[in-house]
Amino acid sequence: MKRFYLIGFLLLMGFDTLAQISFKYAGTQALPVEASLAWLLRVFGQPWVYGAVIGYIGAFFTWMALLKHAPIGPAFAASHLEVVSVMLLSVWLFDEHLNTTRVLGALAIIAGIVCLGLAESREHVPEPTPAEA
Amino acid sequence: MPVTGSLSALVASLWLLNIVLDTGGQLAFKAAAGDPAAGDGLARWRHMAMRPWLWLGVGCYVIEFLVWIAFLSLIPLSEGVLLGSINIVAIMVAGRFLFGEKLTRLRVAGIMLVTLGVVIVGVGR
Repeated sequence: MKRFYLIGFLLLMGFDTLAQISFKYAGTQALPVEASLAWLLRVFGQPWVYGAVIGYIGAFFTWMALLKHAPIGPAFAASHLEVVSVMLLSVWLFDEHLNTTRVLGALAIIAGIVCLGLAESREHVPEPTPAEA
Repeated sequence: MPVTGSLSALVASLWLLNIVLDTGGQLAFKAAAGDPAAGDGLARWRHMAMRPWLWLGVGCYVIEFLVWIAFLSLIPLSEGVLLGSINIVAIMVAGRFLFGEKLTRLRVAGIMLVTLGVVIVGVGR
């Protein structure tokens, strides 16, 4: 059962990460930003926007499956900790730099997400687990 | 690519719009799903589909999808996802005021830490 959670959390992070990376690619290829039909056509005229859709749909179903079984606290944290994977990947894929403010900000945000996850865990008393699952 | 001047104002507007749409969408879905008169099963979905909340939520999410693409195309992705974390805070605060959800000490600490992180990233731009 532990492995089920772990795979579920990683899958959720993976889908969320795919969505954010796709959003970035889709947006960059549709530049310049303008409130026009031309911009919409540029956004939906290249494949990356559909990567974002797939990421969202995948994350939604993984989240629903996880919530059925997994404790809400860790699930909540896992659903927001994609900031870590997205940041690391953006260094590699988009040549971005992790300057001091971004690293400090990320540390505070991650600490906050962990606190919120712990708060959720405390408020929801876990159901007794089946003897063998 | 440094973002300055009017472009920076556009980034800030898109960021605020994203917060409003994300929070509005979540709250609309909450209002749709939490309606005690909705019943069960298929009847519940029919009940929700005949009222505005579900569609308001869907509309918010569709527009948010586009706003987020525009937002991320203007700033580095690593910065964008960090600034977007503020949505977690906005939804919890809105849930407190609209649905009377409890804010325990641990939750307040989490909210303050996430806010602090977003401020650090935002001010450091």
